[in-house]
Amino acid sequence: MTSSSKIQTQATLDAVASGLQAGGDLDELMGRAESPASDAGEFAGLIQALQSALRPVEPRPEFVESLRTELADLIEGQPGLIKRARQMPLRISLAAALALVAGCLLFFMRRLFGSDAPQEIQEEAVATPL
Amino acid sequence: MKKFFSRRANHEQLEDRELVALAKADAEAFGELYARYVKKMYSYIYHRTGNIQDAEDLTAKVFIRAYSHIGDYVDRGLPFQAWLYRIAHNLVANWHRDQSRRKIIALDDYVARSLHSEAPERLAEESEERDQLLQAVRRLPEERQQLLLLKFIEQMSNAQIGEIMGRTEGAIKSLYHRTLLALRDDMPSSAAADQQRLEGTEV
Repeated sequence: MTSSSKIQTQATLDAVASGLQAGGDLDELMGRAESPASDAGEFAGLIQALQSALRPVEPRPEFVESLRTELADLIEGQPGLIKRARQMPLRISLAAALALVAGCLLFFMRRLFGSDAPQEIQEEAVATPL
Repeated sequence: MKKFFSRRANHEQLEDRELVALAKADAEAFGELYARYVKKMYSYIYHRTGNIQDAEDLTAKVFIRAYSHIGDYVDRGLPFQAWLYRIAHNLVANWHRDQSRRKIIALDDYVARSLHSEAPERLAEESEERDQLLQAVRRLPEERQQLLLLKFIEQMSNAQIGEIMGRTEGAIKSLYHRTLLALRDDMPSSAAADQQRLEGTEV
């Protein structure tokens, strides 16, 4: 095959592929081909087979959504405690603050008075044996 | 709702180049780019790997890598999707290297999904031929597979393919011709059918 006919064949093959993608008829496209039928024609069926075999494949919608979420987390970073508290509704924020205060009070009360209780029990235990 | 989720109407009207510039500091802009290209990337990777699990895994990696490097992205006049395809191509190439010891060919589900409701015998025959062709495509060198996928699935022009593959339009045309020659030699049944067609047209 000479270089000019090779270039012509390449152009024809390209035109056939584009024509098929545009919904054209293979025989009609081959009829319009400028290069000799023997050069381009030997690939026509193959191009058509490729055209029908290679089709776009859609991802699962769940995958698209979960990846979107993953990327969002990556971009925005995991929100910290204060950021999360700020994003909470007012009622929930107040309840959380009250719970926090109550928890702290309970903790300090136990620290202050809780340490005496075992001693008392121990003292009672010592006093009661006969 | 996270900012990334909400696609702004004005973002949808922006060109890729403008979105990329915004995406360096704006999560919503990157979200729009994701929405535009996630299906294309998945489809490309699926055909290169042949199975859903790896296609999903690598698609995720493409976007994670794209986001982490978007700050370094320099607009050299090439379309943004060329950059994404290059990331995808590199990840798939690494994946093939890792997988070279174990061979995964799971094209059945793809073939099954794309079958039409025709006569069972014809359906089985078509399925077999399609399967053979897809396997022959996957035996081609990486760059030839890439060319066919971009041409037939993404329906890109030679100029666009050249931008992605870093070659001239003429080089892509020539590579396409050589790819068809290689496929024809690998698919004797296709060659015979073409010969029949040729003889039919010449008479």
